[in-house]
Amino acid sequence: MKRLSLSPDALRVLAAYGAAVLLFVIGAFVHPGFASFGSITSILLVATFVGLVAAGQCFVVLVGGIDLSVPWVLNAAAILLATSSLGQDSRAAYAVVLTLGMGLVAGFANGVGVVWLGVPAVVMTLAMNGIIEGLALGLTGGMTCGACASYAPPVIAASVHDVWLGVPAALWLWLVVILIVSFVLGLTRFGRITYAIGNNPRAAYLAGINVSLTTVCLYGLSGLFSALAGILLVGFGGQASLGMGTPYLFQSIAAVVIGGVSILGGRGNYLGAAAGAVSLTALVSVLLALNMPDYGRSIIYGVVILALLLLYGRDQRE
Amino acid sequence: MSEAPVAPAEAAGVVGVRVVSKAFGGVHALRGASFAACAGEVHGLVGENGAGKSTLIKLLGGRLPPDTGSVMLDERAVRLSGTADAARHGIGTVFQELTLLPWMSVAENLLIGREPRSAIGLIRRGALAREAEAVLAGLGIHHIDPRALAAEVSLAERQIIEIARVIIRRPRILLLDEPTSSLAEREVEWLFARIRELRDQGTSIVFTSHRWNEITAIADRITIFRNGQEVGTFTTIDEAKAITLMTGRRVDALYPSLPPVPDGAPAALALAHGSLDGRTEFAFSLAAGEILGIGGLAGQGHRELFLGLFGAPALRRGRISVGGKPVRIANPADAIRAGFGIALVPEDRKTEGLLLSLPVRDNLSLPLLRRISRLGVIRGGAEMRMSREMISGLGIRTPTPMQPVGALSGGNQQKVLVGRWLLAESRILLLYDVTRGVDVATKHEICELMVRLAGEGKAILFYSSDTEELAHLCHRVLVLRGGRIAAELNRPELTAESIVAAAMRDAA
Repeated sequence: MKRLSLSPDALRVLAAYGAAVLLFVIGAFVHPGFASFGSITSILLVATFVGLVAAGQCFVVLVGGIDLSVPWVLNAAAILLATSSLGQDSRAAYAVVLTLGMGLVAGFANGVGVVWLGVPAVVMTLAMNGIIEGLALGLTGGMTCGACASYAPPVIAASVHDVWLGVPAALWLWLVVILIVSFVLGLTRFGRITYAIGNNPRAAYLAGINVSLTTVCLYGLSGLFSALAGILLVGFGGQASLGMGTPYLFQSIAAVVIGGVSILGGRGNYLGAAAGAVSLTALVSVLLALNMPDYGRSIIYGVVILALLLLYGRDQRE
Repeated sequence: MSEAPVAPAEAAGVVGVRVVSKAFGGVHALRGASFAACAGEVHGLVGENGAGKSTLIKLLGGRLPPDTGSVMLDERAVRLSGTADAARHGIGTVFQELTLLPWMSVAENLLIGREPRSAIGLIRRGALAREAEAVLAGLGIHHIDPRALAAEVSLAERQIIEIARVIIRRPRILLLDEPTSSLAEREVEWLFARIRELRDQGTSIVFTSHRWNEITAIADRITIFRNGQEVGTFTTIDEAKAITLMTGRRVDALYPSLPPVPDGAPAALALAHGSLDGRTEFAFSLAAGEILGIGGLAGQGHRELFLGLFGAPALRRGRISVGGKPVRIANPADAIRAGFGIALVPEDRKTEGLLLSLPVRDNLSLPLLRRISRLGVIRGGAEMRMSREMISGLGIRTPTPMQPVGALSGGNQQKVLVGRWLLAESRILLLYDVTRGVDVATKHEICELMVRLAGEGKAILFYSSDTEELAHLCHRVLVLRGGRIAAELNRPELTAESIVAAAMRDAA
């Protein structure tokens, strides 16, 4: 008997989008104007940063890994962009390449530690987070250096804030990222191998797949996306500051989980994680509109993640 | 003794089910099935994969509740809330999946929940190992070290521990779901001796196996299942008739006839100065069109040899050549690309072979993604077309190529693994126990497929835990013992008996 039904994975993605829509509707009741076009685009703009970090997180979670080095890779990227560009457009291209390169190298280092040194992903990426934090604080003298106060080059600020067709440029960029990542995961050899490894690394290896190299690349991509988010955050806020990456660890993992990507690897896609980023940001905005204090929001975050892991974790085990 | 079905009501059953149904999603595993086993009998349960045997065992063992109908115990309907509840009723089950805790010792696994304790309730670790040793010795098991971790002992030994763990709890109803699938001849004899002892003490034993000779050797009565229902219960029945009842169609001969290896067929794969232990060396060569069997007791180096030829990891020593040219094989990717292409169907299809939650299509195309991609993008049309061809070519029973491979029956999963390498155009196939845990009809299809592939010039290295199968399906058999080749058997002296004899010779 064939039944007309969606796969559980597709249902989760739909559920994540449904949650986002629902939250906007609730928001509109709580606070008139919440669902206005301007309000929606500004919420989506905030979600963009979570979404970009979640893209990297999604790649490593798909192979059953995790990247806890997100906060300081992002933060170091923001600082590196500001200090290397000195706020000048002429130096912006060089600064962007340098910064993305830094993210990529940090990610590769994570991958090498996990794959070839056999360090568990949690330990390796947490250690990397600490190392980069130390480097960033040391090299900038705790953000007291002269260049540390530099503003984002105007061209980078514009690439976040400029409005095309009524929508901020960063949102267009995110849309492009969503398309590219979905394409890579869904239609390319690299994507297929990623799912294969996440499903069963031993079977993938015995089918002739270079599991080690692929895994290192995936960690590299995570570093790259954290760095990209760091660059755009400087453009968004104007300056780099200490601790600006901190919220993104929890939020990126939450977005991935809400979007239906299995924390054990092998299942889910970035379309879901992007929806997860939107629902998470919308949830925060609704709570803000309700004048919920910080601590209350933290508790609600935690409860949402636990609830989803319980819900999705169960049907994993059948 | 008669071939007429025996009505279940004739003997009072101690354990059974009455008109039970059980569905998983849309799949009906049992539909209104009834079954009863008596005290002091060994009741064989046979049927194809998917006939409902394992589900029935799970209902009887308290692992699953029936959707409708009831589990019967001493002629009364009971509700079992779990395996612990079943154990309280005297039901002990060895399920098909192994349940040992890999990072605990054999002794801890064996005596879990009944460890020797000190006055203040702490486990006495020294006594634990000694007690386990005594318990194992009492069951006639001397070669397993109770201090070893469960993960360190072989698959067959793990299975023996599973069985021992249930037997020492003295169940009055013992359910064994495919207990012999990973056991070699001698270990099966050990199990049967234990089963007979228990039966003579009045235990009711329900036993499933895909090996017909085992069923006839041990079962007092046989119940045949097909499509989630019992077809009949018999005291004796011949194999051909049983297969007809199991499959609903006739199977002409059990093993297909083997065409001879063409004279002067070139060597496809050769190993020189090979060594598994780093001390003793051996060599062999496998011709195109030949099926070369590797026999012997479990744990004699078969697995290492197969993985070694595939580079996962490479052999300790040895020079491999493909088509007469030396090749270097450091990992599976090297093996797949080497010369004619080497392929491996590994021992455990679920943990080593398949991506269970991914579609059949993805599982088929995995080793050839590079070939069907352009600039890293998979050509979806080509991939789908190749998958469909292989599905129809091998008769893989799946509703669509997008069905998750984990939802297929064992035999069809195995065909997917073979099909993958046919698509990759590998001409040397290393098939490790491909027919293990596969139902009779599909086993027959796989045997026919192997013979057909050999006829097309593929070179096949074949290990089977079923000696009968090796004897019928191979041109030659090499018997491994202690990591070296103990004997080479050619036709006509190649028989199941000669393989067993060579495997056991001076092995006390």
